[in-house]
Amino acid sequence: MFKVLLTLCLLTLSTQAVVESQIQKVMDSKVRQVLTVLKKSSLSQQQKQSKSIVIMDPMFDYQTMAMISLGKAWKKINTTQKRQFTKAFENKMKRSYITKLRLYNNQRVITKPLKKVKPTRITLENYIIGKNDTYKVKYLFYKNTKNAQWYIYDVHLAGVSIVQTYRKQFASFLKTKSFQQLLRSL
Amino acid sequence: MKTLSYSLLLFTFLFQACSTQEAQPPRQTYASQESPEPQPASEEKALKSNTLSSTDSSGFDSEFQEEDVDLIDPLSGYNRAMTTVNDKMYIYAFNPLSETYAAILPEPLRIGISNAIKNLQYPIRLSNNLLQGKFKNATDETERFLTNSTIGLLGFMDPATNLVHVPKHQEDFGQTLGFYGVGAGFHVVLPFFGPSNLRDIAGLTLDVYASPLVNIKGFENYKIPDNFGQSVAIATLYYVNKNSLELGQYESLKADALDLYPFLRDIYEQKRQVEIEE
Repeated sequence: MFKVLLTLCLLTLSTQAVVESQIQKVMDSKVRQVLTVLKKSSLSQQQKQSKSIVIMDPMFDYQTMAMISLGKAWKKINTTQKRQFTKAFENKMKRSYITKLRLYNNQRVITKPLKKVKPTRITLENYIIGKNDTYKVKYLFYKNTKNAQWYIYDVHLAGVSIVQTYRKQFASFLKTKSFQQLLRSL
Repeated sequence: MKTLSYSLLLFTFLFQACSTQEAQPPRQTYASQESPEPQPASEEKALKSNTLSSTDSSGFDSEFQEEDVDLIDPLSGYNRAMTTVNDKMYIYAFNPLSETYAAILPEPLRIGISNAIKNLQYPIRLSNNLLQGKFKNATDETERFLTNSTIGLLGFMDPATNLVHVPKHQEDFGQTLGFYGVGAGFHVVLPFFGPSNLRDIAGLTLDVYASPLVNIKGFENYKIPDNFGQSVAIATLYYVNKNSLELGQYESLKADALDLYPFLRDIYEQKRQVEIEE
């Protein structure tokens, strides 16, 4: 009986690790899939874009990204506005991310091992080998405590946080203009 | 007993395999559905549950900078104007020039030119790796320089990266100054070169001295170009060639901006900060 308990104990410990190492596996295969799609000359630019988005989509938590990027202003808007903003932000993010992946990439992507920053935070670094340079892409994951799944809440491109950059921009925009204007400009 | 424990083990493994398949968020349908008429009720529900469950928002807030911290930016008027000038210059002159250049020269050749020029910038990387006490990196850079200059055919090829796998360690004097605690100083947008700051302008001046590609009086023995004209020609080649390999990147970046000047300023400062910390 003791053996069983021990095995179970070890397994529960390793479950955590497997879920985490799964992030790497899933991300590796997704990035590779996207690169294959982007290289297919038979597809139009539009098709490449939408196919890549379908592949990467489940990893991103656009809701949380939208929330962080809006900062304090998020608490001041109502649920309908939150929904509208998230949708607009999501669309903008998708376009921007995929275009960049296409533009910066030449052939190869090197993935580094996961780094556990905190019990609920993990980062994954990729190096995109471009024509003229190597670009570092860092994906930041958080653990959703409710379903124990990991989601991307920010991407650092060559050291620049996308969400942080939006957060600054939105804040200075909202200093002089209204939320509705922000929504329109997205 | 043994069989039981083994079967349990097997069972748990299988179970685990199933659950790891689910490592992707279950929200998939919500996120990827692009229905033009979303049902507000269900989406609002998803929204709420997500916001409430997604750990603590305060945890995220501590990871990101306060959004309303104002930078000291005494040159903002000039910087804004210069950003517009640079932007127009890029779109109407520099980019068309790079496109024509890209159409004439095949890509492998352009990559070769880019490699060769970067190889010649080795003294900048060496001195700054040394000045920051990064001796391993300095050795790597030396190995790269020797490999690429010889079997890499004067640096046109990059066997150091592709065959020997010695990593690059880009360092410049601006980074060294930052490494020793020199603050960025206020932001300055340079003509042609774009975003910079006081520290990096000082760094750039030192880079020019260390680079064998810019002619300076009194350093003729070390410098490749013999006069100012040749220095400008090399610099032009470098920038046009570089841009021909990065076409579309500036436009894509610009598409993310609500207001171009502060956007470019913030990403420049963020990028430099990370480069210094590394």
